[in-house]
Amino acid sequence: MASPAAVRELQRDLENKANDLSKIQKDIAKNHQVRKKYTIQLGENELVLKELELLKEDANVYKLIGPVLVKQDLAEANANVRKRIEYISAELKRLDAIVQDLEEKQNSKREAVLKVQQRMQALQAGKAKA
Amino acid sequence: MASSKGPASPAVRVAEMEKMSVEQLKAVKEQTDLEVNLLQDSLNNIRTATTRLDLASVALHDLSLRPQGKKMLVPLTASLYVPGTLDDSEKVLVDIGTGYFVEKTTVEGKDYCERKIHLLKSNYDQLLELASKKKTVADEAGAVLQAKVKQLAPQT
Repeated sequence: MASPAAVRELQRDLENKANDLSKIQKDIAKNHQVRKKYTIQLGENELVLKELELLKEDANVYKLIGPVLVKQDLAEANANVRKRIEYISAELKRLDAIVQDLEEKQNSKREAVLKVQQRMQALQAGKAKA
Repeated sequence: MASSKGPASPAVRVAEMEKMSVEQLKAVKEQTDLEVNLLQDSLNNIRTATTRLDLASVALHDLSLRPQGKKMLVPLTASLYVPGTLDDSEKVLVDIGTGYFVEKTTVEGKDYCERKIHLLKSNYDQLLELASKKKTVADEAGAVLQAKVKQLAPQT
């Protein structure tokens, strides 16, 4: 019947599932933050690439490395920026896949939590009647 | 929650809101208000950036008018200036982002500023449109919410 042990066990189960859910939600939030940072960097790098493409071949390009302005070859600068853009795009795709997976997990956890809650309610209603 | 209100016309939106409970409606209004605030912040940032670019453009123009060899004071820190002479006012270093600097002439530099200002302006216009649409939704939510609260309250 509705023994206190069964109720306690359900409650523990509920707590565990709720904790899991909140951890997944925190992971999703962190993912969003990292995603935002990468998106901003991608935008900036694309602007830089556009500017570099407008330059004449013999234009002087300098890169700020720490406190030092170093003269760079236009071709090299182009290559560097393109590589960076590729890297960031790949990272964003990876993050996308991860967040989709997390969201699926979140939904299934939510359902699981709901089911446990419903069982507890049914159990307690049964207890009340008894 | 319902985020994009793209295809829904205002009448449809209000009808949807009427169906919601006071709690849900309050949540929707708060969410939309938050979004409006974020958009306003972005708009302000764009305005600041545009002003700075404008100042840069004006400074460039001023610089191009100065003769070579002119005596000037060079800022080393915020409170320390050192006397110096203007070397070549034709070439300037432009910061194009991610740590890259490009040597340009003052004319090209001004052109760069103009291009950036145009880009910012078009972003600003897009954001402004989005912000006013969100504000409309927030206002609608507020109006429906008030009506509902009044409906529930006049048990006098």
